[in-house]
Amino acid sequence: MAPEPSILIDLADVSHEYASGGHEKDLVLSDVTLAVAENDVVALLGPSGCGKSTLIRVMAGLIVPTRGTVRYRGTPLHGVSPGVSMVFQNFALFPWLTVRDNVLLPVGRLPAAEQQARLDKVLSTVGLGAYEHAYPRELSGGMKQRVGIARALIAEPEVLCMDEPFSALDVLTAETLRNEIGRLLASPEHPLRTMVMVTHNIVEAVFFATRIVVMAAQPGRVDVIVPVSLPYPRDPDAPEFRAIVEKLHAILTRTNLPDNADSAKVVTKTDGPAKRIAPVSLPYVTPGEVLGLLSLLGDKECDVFDLAERFAKEFGAVVRLVKAAELLGFVQTPGQDVVLTPLGQEVVAGSTETQKRIVREQLCRLKIFELLLRLIKVQENQMLPDEELLRELQTALPHEKPKPLFRTLLSWGRYTELISYDQRHHVIRLYEAKAPKGRAAPAAPQSPPPASPPPTP
Amino acid sequence: MIARQPTAEPERPKIWFEALVLVGLGALLLGGAEVASQWRQPLRQTVEIDLSAWALPKYALFSLARGWIAYFFSLLFTLLVASWAFYDERARRYVLPALDVLQSVPVLGFLPGLVLALVSLFPTSNTGLELACVVMIFTGQVWNMAFSYYDSLRGVPADFRMLGRLYGFKWWHRFLKVELPFGAQGLLYNSMVSMAGGWFFLSITEAFKLGDQDFRVPGIGSYMSVAIERGDVRAQFLGVAAMGVVIVVADRLIWWPLVVWSRKFKLDDFGTGTVDQSGLQRWLTRSRAVQALTVRFGLFFNRVLRPPAPPGRDGEPAATGELPQRQTGLWLYRLLIVTLLTGLAWGAWRLIVLLGRVNLADWGEILRCTGISFGRVLAAVALGTLWTVPVGVWIGLNPKLSSRLQPFIQFVASFPAPMIYPWILAVVLVLGSSLQWGAIPLIMMGTQWYLLFNVAAAASAVPNDIISCAALLRLSGWQRWRQFLLPAVFPGLVTGWITAAGGAWNATIVSEYVQVGDKLYEATGLGAFISRATNDGNFPRLSAAVLVMAVVVVGINRALWKPLQNLANDRCRFMT
Repeated sequence: MAPEPSILIDLADVSHEYASGGHEKDLVLSDVTLAVAENDVVALLGPSGCGKSTLIRVMAGLIVPTRGTVRYRGTPLHGVSPGVSMVFQNFALFPWLTVRDNVLLPVGRLPAAEQQARLDKVLSTVGLGAYEHAYPRELSGGMKQRVGIARALIAEPEVLCMDEPFSALDVLTAETLRNEIGRLLASPEHPLRTMVMVTHNIVEAVFFATRIVVMAAQPGRVDVIVPVSLPYPRDPDAPEFRAIVEKLHAILTRTNLPDNADSAKVVTKTDGPAKRIAPVSLPYVTPGEVLGLLSLLGDKECDVFDLAERFAKEFGAVVRLVKAAELLGFVQTPGQDVVLTPLGQEVVAGSTETQKRIVREQLCRLKIFELLLRLIKVQENQMLPDEELLRELQTALPHEKPKPLFRTLLSWGRYTELISYDQRHHVIRLYEAKAPKGRAAPAAPQSPPPASPPPTP
Repeated sequence: MIARQPTAEPERPKIWFEALVLVGLGALLLGGAEVASQWRQPLRQTVEIDLSAWALPKYALFSLARGWIAYFFSLLFTLLVASWAFYDERARRYVLPALDVLQSVPVLGFLPGLVLALVSLFPTSNTGLELACVVMIFTGQVWNMAFSYYDSLRGVPADFRMLGRLYGFKWWHRFLKVELPFGAQGLLYNSMVSMAGGWFFLSITEAFKLGDQDFRVPGIGSYMSVAIERGDVRAQFLGVAAMGVVIVVADRLIWWPLVVWSRKFKLDDFGTGTVDQSGLQRWLTRSRAVQALTVRFGLFFNRVLRPPAPPGRDGEPAATGELPQRQTGLWLYRLLIVTLLTGLAWGAWRLIVLLGRVNLADWGEILRCTGISFGRVLAAVALGTLWTVPVGVWIGLNPKLSSRLQPFIQFVASFPAPMIYPWILAVVLVLGSSLQWGAIPLIMMGTQWYLLFNVAAAASAVPNDIISCAALLRLSGWQRWRQFLLPAVFPGLVTGWITAAGGAWNATIVSEYVQVGDKLYEATGLGAFISRATNDGNFPRLSAAVLVMAVVVVGINRALWKPLQNLANDRCRFMT
């Protein structure tokens, strides 16, 4: 009963749906229950599409969830939350106001002397004194975000919400700003102790948070909450710090690249149609990306998180890529590592035609592709309208977004010359290689070559 | 976005639709013949307008034919002049400002001279009158199209031009494969706006009177003016309804399918399968009759327009033989410039001679009238701003609302307001006011929509984070407007002001001088001055007043709107 008054934000069974055109709905948040207490620094961590940005907006009262209750200091929220300030990924500065006027916006009703005092204090905190009369247009990205932070701090909020505050900045600027926020948290005289931040960067989360909320996608939900009790300022090179990062790596790999899911992945022909197992969806990646991943992997095993760093990609994006390669049997993922299978090595060594053939064979073993080909064949004229496929995908895989999945299937099917798509009439049919005059071989050189692998840093 | 109903099988067009397409084609041919015979008819001093409902389709056809012929010339002019301005750097410096000035000139002021000139050119047939009408519609259509196409020419990425050079594209290949696709979307959008602009003065240009001469041509506009003259309310309603049908049908049957089709030229969007089509277009592309036609058409074009083999493949360098052609081209070009300059000089001389006949008292009156009209234009724009800013912001920030209201607003905006001036005037008179004040709502009728459109568009473009931020800052009341909403829509508002004020000056000509039945309502003002000079056939006073109006419009653009626009672009654009 004792800590009851110190709970600031309290979410109970919050779910949120977006109407995404027509009658289909996207479940972005599913039954999230979470409390933010005073002096909590909560980091919402997860791959893109897990609803973390929606969650922080629900906490701020900007989005009213479809179900569940949101309380601030015990009272249900109506409209925006009274004690919350927010820092936005793309700064959200008003271009027609100077730095000074932008920062002063939240305190317009205070007496002028008080405004000035607070302004001086907050500008010196973020190091913007000399830019008081500049317009946002004149500032670099890092400076803009400083203005955003100053504007959030000047209201002296009880909770500071930050939505990917460093993602739009270059690496060096982000590092500087991160350290400065870390210093604020470390300095005992600074009043702000409670923060909620959205991030997809694991180190960033461990650097700031007292509790890390790991979220999972489809539908967006809370997976695990990891407490971090290291004292501020935190040193990313300290062994305790690294241990927590490792732990988070393991958690994220477990939720996103499970080891024991092989049975559901590839469906053999012996599976009778009576068994209605939901087909496993193909992650939304293109053939070129997967082939690029394979050729960059080499013969050594590679950590997923190292790959993310090497490709300068978000962790979630690399996971999607690895999942697709694993689904097709080209890589294995023991623990956090990614290793080429013999088949994968064959693909890497093969010619364009060989690559295409192997990918085609593997693709045909996926239940989702089996579904697609069967749908085409049952049409009387062997032409499948795209609306029909979208509807089928939605019933077969209710948690997937039909349109990106549709595009993914199309790109793989077209690459492997299994299907062709007529965009004018919106129909999919089986691919028939045009036999060139005077040649019997059904070679089809018109299909797009695999995209070049992404550049290595 | 259009919500597509899932269909079980690809819909086959019904037989009746095939029939409809064929009947439509037949009707097109017959209608063309009808229009041609009307043009060849001997010149009559007065055309009898039949006020029965059955005559309306024919009149609608005549008006439509004029609109489309004018549009064809607008398109031709756009492509030629914009390309000229783009490729000839020396000409650009004169062409662009000239277009800017022409855009601001009150078109109605030129009607009398034009009618007389063309009638004397074709003394034995209706062609002169019809041409005059077409030219008037043309001048209401062409300018924004030309500016839009010039902008899209400038926007063609260098890569695509380079590609054209590498493959040895001739100019028509470059035009068809690169430039036109790039300009298609902007051109199309502006064409829709232009068509609406062209209709605006329809009821005046089709029922034109000069002194006691009646230069009436059959059409919806003249139908309406006769109905007003005779006070036939039933016919007035019919005319308005017919105009509405024409606008809606053109929008649904021509513009909307074209807009959907032009989306494939969007550079940044090559999404597969998600391009939404209009129901009509999907039907049309699936109708066998149309398919056969397009296939034939496509074959023809492929044969004619196939790009030449890359240079070097046939061992023939592409550059040879271009020199003599250039030489003749250059001479032709010089000839064109000289002709243009001579024409200009002659026109200027005629104008000076005419102006010499205007006495000092007339100049004084023109200035006084200009002041009064200036007041009216300001009042109309200010009043329009007062209601369109809150409503536009409300619509723009509500995506659902704006998609529901947009067709309606578009319809109201493209309806030629002068057609219903007598009704509004009746309300004004019932309220006990006179045209001196009543002209202000008449001017507003035609111009406030530009404000509404632009404000709503600007409001809908405000980034989500900025809206969230304003909500979190709890900006409210006046502070919310002053620090957030007004600056956010300011760029749109300025664009709206420029168009609305220019249109308002033009509208004074019809709003300060309204004839209902045999009664003439007149207000003091430059517009009324121009109308009166037209009716009296007093060319010196007419050209003096038109000149003053053009100078005032251009002057205000330079002195007021351009600086405001610079300020708006400098301060109030969101960074992307």
